[in-house]
Amino acid sequence: MYKFKIVYLPEFLEYLQEKYTLWAPAKSGTETEFKVISSFAEIDQSRLNTTLNPKEIFFPRREVLFSYDENGIKTPPPPEKPVAVWGLRTCDTRSIRMLDEVFSNAHQMPEKEMFKDPYWINKYADSLLISQACRQPLSTCFCNWFNSGPFDETGSDIFVIKGEVNYYLKGISDKGQEVLAGFAKAEQTDEKDAAEIKDLQAAAESYMSPALDISDLKSKLDKIWDDPLWEEIGAKCINCGACAYICPTCHCFDVSDEGKAGKGKRVRLWDACMFQLFTKEASGHNPRSNSLNRVRQRVMHKYNYFVDNYQKFLCTGCGRCVSVCPVNMDIREIIKKILAHEI
Amino acid sequence: MCNTYLPFPMKVERIITENPDRTLRTFDLSFINEEDREKFIYMPGQFCEFSILGKGESPFGIASSPTEEGILKFTVSRTGSVTREIHYLQEGDIVGIRGPLGNWYPEQLMQNEDVVIIGGGFAFTTLRSMIVYMLAHRERYGKITVIYGARTPEYFIFKEELETWDARDDITLHLTIDKPYPGWEKLVGFVPTVTGEVNLDPKALVLVCGPPVMIKYTLPVLTKIGFKDEKIFTSLERRMKCGIGKCGRCGIGSKYICIDGPVFSLAELNKIPEAF
Ligand SMILES: Cc1cc2nc3c(=O)[nH]c(=O)nc-3n(C[C@H](O)[C@H](O)[C@H](O)COP(=O)(O)OP(=O)(O)OC[C@H]3O[C@@H](n4cnc5c(N)ncnc54)[C@H](O)[C@@H]3O)c2cc1C
Ligand code: SF4
Ligand code: SF4
Ligand code: FES
Repeated sequence: MYKFKIVYLPEFLEYLQEKYTLWAPAKSGTETEFKVISSFAEIDQSRLNTTLNPKEIFFPRREVLFSYDENGIKTPPPPEKPVAVWGLRTCDTRSIRMLDEVFSNAHQMPEKEMFKDPYWINKYADSLLISQACRQPLSTCFCNWFNSGPFDETGSDIFVIKGEVNYYLKGISDKGQEVLAGFAKAEQTDEKDAAEIKDLQAAAESYMSPALDISDLKSKLDKIWDDPLWEEIGAKCINCGACAYICPTCHCFDVSDEGKAGKGKRVRLWDACMFQLFTKEASGHNPRSNSLNRVRQRVMHKYNYFVDNYQKFLCTGCGRCVSVCPVNMDIREIIKKILAHEI
Repeated sequence: MCNTYLPFPMKVERIITENPDRTLRTFDLSFINEEDREKFIYMPGQFCEFSILGKGESPFGIASSPTEEGILKFTVSRTGSVTREIHYLQEGDIVGIRGPLGNWYPEQLMQNEDVVIIGGGFAFTTLRSMIVYMLAHRERYGKITVIYGARTPEYFIFKEELETWDARDDITLHLTIDKPYPGWEKLVGFVPTVTGEVNLDPKALVLVCGPPVMIKYTLPVLTKIGFKDEKIFTSLERRMKCGIGKCGRCGIGSKYICIDGPVFSLAELNKIPEAF
């Protein structure tokens, strides 16, 4: 494990920029989100979780698939440099890895080229994900329900812990190791450092509420598709879609043409199963015509269907949807209700 | 890297208006680039995204058969914005195609078996593909029986072809219309009723495709005759965008119709909560 003094962070980031396009949390109006950073001063690390989510980095809210004119179809040029992200939380990193499973392949047919999403892969390939331990998790955080926690290194290329005077950095992947080894200011940690890290981790974990045992969640959901429980769960939801928009793992999108017949662009835009139009067919028929169907779809996709296809929940416990919902729907309460429900 | 979001160009060779109110048109498209033609290997039951740049794209079942080389056929019902633009096309126009997408009818399972094909309305497209394919490899299959229903005689699609099939003795065709019609001498009655009346052998494999109500009432008839759920296949439709299992739109339970379907056996559908 390496360390360097906190004051050397700008230097470390400049070092990264030699090879990478650097993304980090930054202010965006009153919110924070991941942005391309040119200098250290733009970074805003005052919030634990960025308000907007990191999927934007590899799966932007609006993305041009191609433009067309009289000369034919043109795809956007691939990025010049690979992406490095500073300031991810463990849950952010895990969410990116989940989306990668969806976009880089498709369940059941991973070997087929036609199911790979080149737009995601162009940006994601060779990226460096640097996640940071959460010293003081929020009241909305429940990553510990998903076998994770504030000091979980899983999926990171580099895992960072901010101490009192030092950043401690652990190279998790070979790529991460190499980057750290090449930074002149990085030194090896000693026993005193290890002790500090241990204390920080214990303190962080003490902030978390005890984890709920959700091992029965999937099998329970298998049995309650047409249970009246959904009426109780979904009654409040106004289908605004904010939860899906802000969720780092929701990945539904719309494809739409902008422009005229001779010249224009085909773009994809974030979309959500929370909207009535998502499934409404040209005939007027809508297989998910009421709000309850759609709330059920969101819950089922995350905690049941995705498990069928990818053997994991499509939720990291980041708590963003809990903070954003205008009518105070709390996904944790929904999960508790489902688990407590007698069939 | 292959990019399945990019349409390749095809030329509209021939347009046929299929019904009197002009809401159904069949488009024969030819490949413009030889390499697109070579790469386009498909089976009956698969579909394509058909796009008009600037107007959008929509999924349609492929109505041609792989045995009809060099062309792709689609029959498009005018329902909304993209299909309206498709109906404005003229012969010679260039359109964009992505595909082939999705799975196909279980041709392997159909070999050496009797096959029953049941269709209604314009959903007959991919069934036509399957029939043309079977007739081109006639020796591979047992008895072929087709039940096809339309509102009136004018609403059948591929009318000329239906006549040639009717004249053959290696395929049995039961054409039926909803109500008596002047000059119509074939069957009268809804598809589910006819299905129950034509002495089907439950050992056969069945492909059913049509409007949701037709499917809903035909399935119990098939079950009553003794067809097993594993031997009944149908093709589903939902809204689609990407066609490759990413955009989430066509999900039913943990399946995506665009990659796990559109063809499913009734046995599979019984396990999927949102299928019907
Ligand atoms: C696998 C498959 C095969 C199909 N085969 C045929 C066929 O052979 N002939 C035929 O006429 N129709 C077929 N359809 C239905 C056809 O795709 C829709 O009628 C068409 O997309 C309506 O588009 P629109 O833009 O005119 O309507 P709008 O309401 O203006 O549609 C807006 C958007 O919604 C999408 N959309 C709306 N309804 C549907 C729907 N039912 N299914 C899929 N996408 C929809 C369109 O793609 C478009 O992007 C098929 C659908 C699927 C999924
Ligand atoms: S944010 Fe809340 S109200 Fe809006 S769609 Fe999500 S759960 Fe429903
Ligand atoms: S569902 Fe909520 S808690 Fe789970 S990943 Fe999405 S925003 Fe975070
Ligand atoms: S059409 Fe996008 S997932 Fe099926």
